[in-house]
Order: sequence, then structure tokens, then C-alpha cells
Amino acid sequence: MTATRRWQIPLIVVLIAYLATAALLASVLPLKNGAIDWFAPLRAGGWMAWSFPTALFFLTIALLLALMAVWEYASPGGNPRVGILRFETTRGDRLFISLLGSAFIHLAWLGLVGPNLWWALGLSAVYAIGVFRYV
Amino acid sequence: MDKTWNNKAWFMVLPVLLLVAFSAVIPLMTVVNYSVQDTFGNNQFFWAGTEWFEEMLHSDRFWQAMARSLIFSFVILAIEIPLGIVIALNMPRSGWGVPVCLVLMALPLLIPWNVVGTIWQVFGRVDIGLLGYVMNALGVDYNYVNDPLDAWVTVIVMDVWHWTSLVVLLCYAGLVSIPDAYYQAAKIDGASRWSIFRHIQLPKIRRVLLIAVLLRFMDSFMIYTEPFVVTGGGPGNSTTFLSIDLVKMAVGQFDLGPAAAMSIIYFLIILLFSWVFYTVMTNSGSER
Repeated sequence: MTATRRWQIPLIVVLIAYLATAALLASVLPLKNGAIDWFAPLRAGGWMAWSFPTALFFLTIALLLALMAVWEYASPGGNPRVGILRFETTRGDRLFISLLGSAFIHLAWLGLVGPNLWWALGLSAVYAIGVFRYV
Repeated sequence: MDKTWNNKAWFMVLPVLLLVAFSAVIPLMTVVNYSVQDTFGNNQFFWAGTEWFEEMLHSDRFWQAMARSLIFSFVILAIEIPLGIVIALNMPRSGWGVPVCLVLMALPLLIPWNVVGTIWQVFGRVDIGLLGYVMNALGVDYNYVNDPLDAWVTVIVMDVWHWTSLVVLLCYAGLVSIPDAYYQAAKIDGASRWSIFRHIQLPKIRRVLLIAVLLRFMDSFMIYTEPFVVTGGGPGNSTTFLSIDLVKMAVGQFDLGPAAAMSIIYFLIILLFSWVFYTVMTNSGSER
């Protein structure tokens, strides 16, 4: 018997936790000329030299891992399959391939095109969808 | 029979996760933070965005160090893996020779890296070192201080001397775990020495070989202490590998931002190569 798991609740909890943490981080940012200084240190002289963009980056990685956990809860087993690379991959493998590939896409864009990384981000999203669909 | 799935078992890995978080993840996060900021000391940081990554990706110095590190790693793998297998195949399986060989093989691994560097630095010197003196006495113009090729040969031979034992011990452990029944069957079939190696021994030691390749690639790609002690990265920059260049930049020049950006690119390359090696080697056997 396969019980239907109520994955919607953990999904909502994860998304709320992500948004709440991001909002909390944004709330501690200092003001510069009356506007929020998004690139200022989160705590001047603080440990690890945190800034909002890097904190958001790691928070998003944590969100992806949490979403994978929710996905696993909803559909256990990791969905192993043999894709176009001709070897078996699970969802976790596909996330790893997506993240590693995205890092190199961003580096290649920086080295070959320029510092505007929005296109690289879009390309990485397309690449990740391709990996999850075909690998 | 279906396996019992119990996700509570994940809590068992929590202590390791915490240890890894403190020893690796938090330092890595700090490096990421440094890589997008600039500092002039006093723990004050200023946003620099992707500037340091661009600087690194357009830097000849970085790519030359990268090329040297990659060439070094592939030369090391090309020498140490086959040599380690050959030595392991020829080591005795019983009798007094086993402990003697194992101790001899383990000795280089017990010596600290900086001591290995010092030993070879003295050993290779043309004035007081046995190797340098003998080479010159034989008419070979060997001087690792002045000649880049000699410096490379010295560093490679030193690494082979230091680390081939690891490959040998891993392969030997794999070889002695093969049941005798395989060899008896091969003997009945009249298999040649090469056939036994190709169809019995090599497939059976594939897993330990994977560990050996991964360890040797990662270690050789990150090598710092031994070449730093022997050549200091010279002559010129001929043996300045990525790790040496990184330390020069981070500690010598106190350029924390560019050094952090370099570290992240370095880390991603190690991650990519390790994943490729791991995937290829774990899947090459499952296709059989």
C-alpha cells in the first residue's frame, strides 16, 4: 500500500523559513543616503565577513537542499535512472551536476563575456532543467 | 525482499555532518565571502563583486600555475598508478617477506612532508647532496636550482618516492583479498599471467584503485610543502604550482580577495576532476 504523503506542508514551511530568513538578513542591512545598502557588510567587523548577496547565495543552496528533502519525502527512492550520460543518476546526483555545471557556466561567462551574470544565471537554469530532464 | 527504509537513520550521520561543517563548510563560506570583497586589514571589508574572479580568469599567472599543476598531477598519476600496481603484484603473499615489504613500503608515508622536502633538497644539491654529486660525476649536467627541467624531475621523483607506497599498499590490500578459487579456475583454463591480471586482478582491485587515483590526484593537485621546501617555486616560476601561487598571493601579498577567488576556482576544478574520476571508475565496472 502506498500512503499519500502530505508534502505540501513541509514545502510551505521550507519556503516560509527561506523568505523569513532572507527578510531578517535584509532588515539588518545599514542605510546609505536613505536607501538600503545591499552590498554593505551584514555586521561591520563581524565574523566571516558576511554580506547580504553571499548570505542569500548560501541560503538559496540550503533552500535547494531542503526542497530536495521535501521531494524525497513526497516521492522516496531518489528516482534513479539511466539518462543520456549512460550511467545511473539519482535526483541528488542531478542536483550536484546542475550546481557544478552552473558554477562553470558562470565562470565561463565572466571570463569570456563580462560581469553581467543574469544571462549566465538564465543559461544555468536552462542547463539545470535539461539535467533534471535528460541526465 | 524489499529493504526497510527508515529516514531516522539520517540522524546517525549528524555528528559527521557537524564536524565537516566546522572543518570545511564554514571555512569555505568564509572564502566565498572574501572572494567578492576587498579588505585593507582591520577586518573591514568593501564590496568588490565579481572583480577578483575576472582578474583571475584573465591572469596569465593564474593559467600558467594551473597548467603546471595539471601537468604535474597527470605525470604523477601516469607514473605512480602503474608503478604501484606492478610493485603490489610482485610483493610476496606469504612468509617473512610480507612484513619486510609492508614496513619498507610504509616508511616513506610516515615521514612528514616538510622533512621529505628537506631530505630531497639536500639529496639533490650538487655540492653536498649524494644525488647531485653522483649525477654530475657521471657527466649529467644536473642542477635543480638553475635548470627548470631538473627542478621538475626532482619534484616528480620526490613525489613518486613519497607516495607510490600508498598506491602499492592499497593495491596489495585489494590483491590479497581475492579468493584463491579465482586463480585455481584460471590455472585450469590455462590463463596467461596477463589474462589473470586483466580479467581477475584488475577488476577486483578496481575499487581500491579508484581510491588511489582520487587520493593521488587531489593530493598532487594540491601539493605545496614538498616543492616549496625543495625549489621554493623556482627556478623562476617553473615549479610554482597553484597552491604555492595561492599562498604567495594570500600570505605574501595579503591579496585576500584575489586569493579567495583563486581558491574557489581551484576548489571547483578539484571537485570536477574528482567527480569525473569517481563516476568513470565506478560505472566502468557496473556495465559488465
